[in-house]
Amino acid sequence: MITRQTVQVGALLALVMLGACKNAPDVLKPGPKKIAQEGYRGTGMETNYDPDDIAKTAAYNQAPKPLPPAPPGPPGQYKNVQVLTNISAAEFGRTMTAMSSWVAGGAGNCAYCHNTANFASDSTAKGQLLYTKLTARMMLRMTRHINSDYTRHVGGTGVTCYTCHRGKPLPNGLWFYSDQNQILRHYLDRDDIRVQSHTVEPLPGAAANRTSIRQTYNTYALMVTQSKALGVNCTYCHNSRAWTSWEQSTPKRVVAMYGAAMLRDMNMNYLNPLQPVYPRSRLGEHGDAPKAQCITCHNGVYKPLYGAKMVSDYPALWGAAGWDATAGPLDATGKPLFDGAPLTEPGVTPSGTKMSAAPTTATAAAVEVAMGVTPVSAMPAVTKVPARPTP
Amino acid sequence: MIEYQNLFTRVQVHAPVDEGVPLRGGTWGRDGKPFLNYWAGKFGDAQIGPIYLGTLGVFSLLFGFIAFEIIGLNMMRSVHWSPIQFIRQLPWLSLEPPAPKYGLHIPPLNQGGWWLLAGFFLTLAILCWWVRMYQRTRALGMGSHIVWAFASAIWLYLVLGFIRPLLVGSWSEAVPFGIFPHLDWTAAFSIRYGNLFYNPFHMLSIAFLYGSAVLFAMHAATVLAASRYGAEREIEQITDRGTAGERMGLFWRWTMGFNATTESIHRWAFWFATLTTLTGGFGILLTGTAVDNWFLWAQKHGVAPSYPVLYSVKPEQAPFLRGQYMGVAPDSFPGMMRDASGRLVPQKLPIPQGANATGDVELYNKPVLSTDNMRDSLNADGLFIMSAVYFDTGSDGLRGESDAELANLAALMTKYPTLKVEVQGHTDNVGDPTANLTLSQGRAERVRDMLTTKYGVAADRIKSRGFGQTKPTASNDTPEGRRLNRRVEIASEGKVVLPAERTP
Repeated sequence: MITRQTVQVGALLALVMLGACKNAPDVLKPGPKKIAQEGYRGTGMETNYDPDDIAKTAAYNQAPKPLPPAPPGPPGQYKNVQVLTNISAAEFGRTMTAMSSWVAGGAGNCAYCHNTANFASDSTAKGQLLYTKLTARMMLRMTRHINSDYTRHVGGTGVTCYTCHRGKPLPNGLWFYSDQNQILRHYLDRDDIRVQSHTVEPLPGAAANRTSIRQTYNTYALMVTQSKALGVNCTYCHNSRAWTSWEQSTPKRVVAMYGAAMLRDMNMNYLNPLQPVYPRSRLGEHGDAPKAQCITCHNGVYKPLYGAKMVSDYPALWGAAGWDATAGPLDATGKPLFDGAPLTEPGVTPSGTKMSAAPTTATAAAVEVAMGVTPVSAMPAVTKVPARPTP
Repeated sequence: MIEYQNLFTRVQVHAPVDEGVPLRGGTWGRDGKPFLNYWAGKFGDAQIGPIYLGTLGVFSLLFGFIAFEIIGLNMMRSVHWSPIQFIRQLPWLSLEPPAPKYGLHIPPLNQGGWWLLAGFFLTLAILCWWVRMYQRTRALGMGSHIVWAFASAIWLYLVLGFIRPLLVGSWSEAVPFGIFPHLDWTAAFSIRYGNLFYNPFHMLSIAFLYGSAVLFAMHAATVLAASRYGAEREIEQITDRGTAGERMGLFWRWTMGFNATTESIHRWAFWFATLTTLTGGFGILLTGTAVDNWFLWAQKHGVAPSYPVLYSVKPEQAPFLRGQYMGVAPDSFPGMMRDASGRLVPQKLPIPQGANATGDVELYNKPVLSTDNMRDSLNADGLFIMSAVYFDTGSDGLRGESDAELANLAALMTKYPTLKVEVQGHTDNVGDPTANLTLSQGRAERVRDMLTTKYGVAADRIKSRGFGQTKPTASNDTPEGRRLNRRVEIASEGKVVLPAERTP
């Protein structure tokens, strides 16, 4: 029998159950919410927070304590050092220790990247390629490049391996080619993110804006990946009444724009070119290398690690970029092995050649030659290294 | 006492089933043996059936079924015929219209051809159902209000999926079939066309939609509240308004001074509901055909207010956020370029470094011509080039920074009441010549409009004309030359001699 009482009790029970449900939407969770005003009053430009959520993300986004500083010393004492050439042996060792705990699951896990019988070698005792070492080297180049050339995005905060890796070999948010990830190609090789017209009326003929609704949806989805990556609303950067208008946007939108440019550079010149180095298990279903997006560094926070300046404790990550546009792997004839160019379809390079599966059986020497790296055996001992340029 | 104070109808009249009035015309008889259903009686009449299907009803159901199957099977195909995935992902599954490259051509079936077929059959089904409803109203000797209200909804449906795509020249503009996809389409459509919020017909449609809900609530609540006096028993009210109708009218007259009548309230509701989709359809029809960016439209017509800037910005941010960047702000993420040896090199962001660095950068601080400057130029050359008049890039939106010089021009016109001038717009040679011509005309008109409306200069004293890119004053090969060619000139009508003010 439905009476007024049963309806009331039922409604109360339903509310209690919804509130107790772990996966209930934010609006149903008890507790205060906070709003930070980001723009002129009445424009709705504000960021909404749930303090409980912040507490959770804060726990994940703590920078580890820096290692004790290394004593000063002359630069360079190790063989086959190609990126960290301008730091002392002690600082080098300190950086390696930090990297093993940031990336390889614990300090002292040298064997994750190195042949412990011959630390200078890029291959195992059996002559197999140490893809982790080659990757780490590329990542060091990338880190230096970011810290020295993209200050308009990373500011004085900078990045370290930990910013993305968080103690794990694989950072969060890595992506591969797939139907669902088409939108993320904006972070690699796709243009046409802008969809709105700059004129009131449609322009005639060829000047007309032919952007489709579907394309608009893609841009929208891309923007949502940024919003989620930073844990912020759209209005953190935009006045939502006129998305395109720079004049109504917040300064953060400019920072984000440089970030997108930085991601393109990272994916195009550092992450994608590692494709021939990786074993098959590290590649996507179309044989492409893992690539980064905003959440890879940001991990749900508007500034990675809440802006902790970790990098200031690790001078090795500050040096000159060491990126000279020749770092890509080359084949025997000196042509780029994989040039990171846009793929016309997944798995096929523009020249029509199928991307090779990772050369897991290739000898280290062959791959080193392919990558334009001088073999260790042919390398003279380091005697003199140029002084570290002032950052 | 019988009460109507519940969610459900608590009173059910169980009477022998009724076949209804005899059929007039119609090729088919009524189908189904009528019966009573207790739960149907909770919500309405307890009697189910008989139904008059008719030829049109059969065709409507058939076409509707075909459309339903095309949509459903395409969704099944998109999850590789997995029933589990079909159920899990159903809210996100979609049958998309053809891609823009197909325009209004008929694409292959799996490239949007199925969408066209589904739309075709669904439209046929709806139209058959509409004609069928019309015929049933006639058969019962009713007015045709229901079919016209339905026609208003069909109008919006046809504008969205057929009429507007035809006008814009692309099936891709139409709505996908799918639960979330059609909602996402709505959001993306608004974003693409610069915020539908500023579309006046959208405003009307929303007003009628909310108004419908308010009227619905007021009317329904009023009738239910007076049902204890028999307000729901219409037959009595038609002959004698009775105590219920009297109370209902009194209540609203006491509350807000005016009351609808038991007859007029239904006209209110009919028009509000019908106008919702009727005005909505016009709003959609104008989008992308007459107006490409509703926010800019609203700004142009003073609907969208501007707000003060609150931020302090870094030097590299200023060109974007302070509107000092007159080139096209990076329209895409910058791509990679190949150098001479074919290597990929990250392209530098097109960052404006300063006012004079490139012709694409323009600061709104150029010298403002005084009334005397203007007068002297007119006396000497019969024309002068406006120095500090600024427009939004690629648009005829006149920027507020132009006010100072326009005020001086207005002062000149006031000072010399016989002076007649022509505003002449010019562009550089970037882009389509026809578009440039239109743009220069628009810009000249905006300057003239400003003088006539804001400063009250008589309309017959000031003409406007656009020359597009036909009269360059400098080479279009350099950014500086192009900047000089983008200009507004003021020419006097005939030779003039404007006397200087006597100095006391």
